[in-house]
Amino acid sequence: MTPLQTQLPTWTAVAPTLLLGLTALVLLLVDSIDPDSTRPGALAGIATLGSLATLAVAGWFLLAGTGQTGSGGAIELYGGSLVVDGLSLFFTVVVASVVAMVSLASYDYLRDRTYQAEFYSLVLLAATGMSLMGSSGSLATVFISLELASLPSYALVAFLKDNRGSVEAGLKYFLVGAVSSAVLTFGISLVYAATGSLLLADVASAVGSAGDLVGIAGVGIVMIAGGFAFKTASVPFHFWAPEAYEGAPAPISAFLSSASKAAGFAVAFRVFAVGFPLDAVVPMGIDWSLLFAILAVVTMTLGNFAAATQENVKRMLAYSSVGHAGYALIGLAALSGGGPNGNVMGASMAHLLVYGFMNTGAFLFIAMVEHWEVGRTFEDYNGLATRAPAACLAMTVFMFSLAGLPPFGGFLSKYALFYEAIQGGFWWLAAVGAINSALSLFYYSRVVKAMWIEDPTGEFDLGATPVGLYAAVMVAAVGTLLLLPAFGPVVETAQSAATALFA
Amino acid sequence: MNQWIAIGALGVMGVGIPIAMMVVSALLRPSVSEQGKTVVYESGEVPTGTAHVQFNIQYYMVALLFLVFDVETVLIFPWTLIYRSALEQGATLGQVLAPMLVFIGVLVVGLGWAWRNGAVEWIKSPRASRRKTERQS
Repeated sequence: MTPLQTQLPTWTAVAPTLLLGLTALVLLLVDSIDPDSTRPGALAGIATLGSLATLAVAGWFLLAGTGQTGSGGAIELYGGSLVVDGLSLFFTVVVASVVAMVSLASYDYLRDRTYQAEFYSLVLLAATGMSLMGSSGSLATVFISLELASLPSYALVAFLKDNRGSVEAGLKYFLVGAVSSAVLTFGISLVYAATGSLLLADVASAVGSAGDLVGIAGVGIVMIAGGFAFKTASVPFHFWAPEAYEGAPAPISAFLSSASKAAGFAVAFRVFAVGFPLDAVVPMGIDWSLLFAILAVVTMTLGNFAAATQENVKRMLAYSSVGHAGYALIGLAALSGGGPNGNVMGASMAHLLVYGFMNTGAFLFIAMVEHWEVGRTFEDYNGLATRAPAACLAMTVFMFSLAGLPPFGGFLSKYALFYEAIQGGFWWLAAVGAINSALSLFYYSRVVKAMWIEDPTGEFDLGATPVGLYAAVMVAAVGTLLLLPAFGPVVETAQSAATALFA
Repeated sequence: MNQWIAIGALGVMGVGIPIAMMVVSALLRPSVSEQGKTVVYESGEVPTGTAHVQFNIQYYMVALLFLVFDVETVLIFPWTLIYRSALEQGATLGQVLAPMLVFIGVLVVGLGWAWRNGAVEWIKSPRASRRKTERQS
């Protein structure tokens, strides 16, 4: 296949990111023309079309081999501060598919609310930042793109401004976010002090010869890891997650817990794999993969145990999202100098893609339940399947897929992740992950049991069918199912993209 | 000698000198009790009300819009400095001009949106206008 970059100018490699940003601007322009009317259909349509176009371009680039080893390697732009390669395109695909589903679902969720254009443009601006996070090749771009993703998210969490829970969640998210941004910036400055560069490639070559400054470099690396732990909702910066996901409008919870988390992992994968190579830093005593191994175990155990004790379904999903951050952290934990690192990280990337569909779908189902005003606890879901069998079937798919049961996408992605961890010699990480998965089946099946087996406590008054929400939930369910047969090519793409980072 | 001793000494001096100055002047100065010294502003301005007042939220909108122009200026300045020399060294007009036009275009879209949505309209609250009429009568 002819390399793509010989046909198009090099800057078009960031076209997926530009498309997301452009869609946000178009939404603002449409709202400027006539601010007083809401036009929900047009706005949701523009947002969905924009994200689908991004998905198409990013998917096309990924299949055509743009920036991958087959066609000349990563494309560096602006002096290396932006890098387009398999990893960035892969995560742009994840973010764009989540945004498409969330925009589709928001059409019904936002009905009769004001400030709809602002909602969609904030979602797309955050998505621009998330897609940029995957492509940042310098610590400066890492910080800017992380802020571009975070700032709209704070506003979106507090979008229901008459709702106390939403405002409180927004404030907590903002405060924890501000602290962790400060920690991240401080870490970046320490790494800069020790290595004299912000470019990841230069940091990698200079960090080995830090000499006396090894302590500073070590503290800097730990602080950068802390900043990413916030974005991925991992311990020790996880405690905003349950509040924010529960208080936020449910489509935003879906967006944050899937796309934002995936973007956080994208940037963490690149910074740690490219910037701080294990071969160079482990002999200096900075073993960040051990740090991530501890974080992974604590995060998945804490997330799963906390999820098992919840009575509120949305809060249960929020804690399960923390648990899944622990599984994905295996991609950073089960690494060693010279081990099959690309395979482990690739399996983690593939898990995040599958998670993007199943978790978005689960939160969008919650959005539908909120739209119906059914209630929030497990008991309120009793017998829901008698009234809405199709939606409950989709939710069952999401729950069993999140738990990692066959025959759904989540089974293969978890299996691949644990298998690769064992191949890398980290059988204990895989064992903890498997035990946690078994535990998670308990609380996921509670939802299924409530919906299908329990008798309804009262009459449901569901009203008209929310078409957009239904369509988005169905798309997510079909995606979760299709990722089972399609998992082979997905994981191969992810693993070759991740292997390129370690080369 | 450990170099941290020097830093510690600097810290001791930095805290010690101001305290010593205040103590010495308190010991030396004559104590003349005068009412004028106890007021908030010795220039004679008599403060009215407390300092804990709520500012109108619309000032924050103005401040946010100001940031648009502020950041714009910060980034245009270095650009103007390299503009001529970049052209002389063979960059095309499009290469030099287009990025800045795109940047300003993005800001204009945002400003236009804020303008259309009434961010620059000063809305008087009913309470404020009522108070004004009370004062006039």
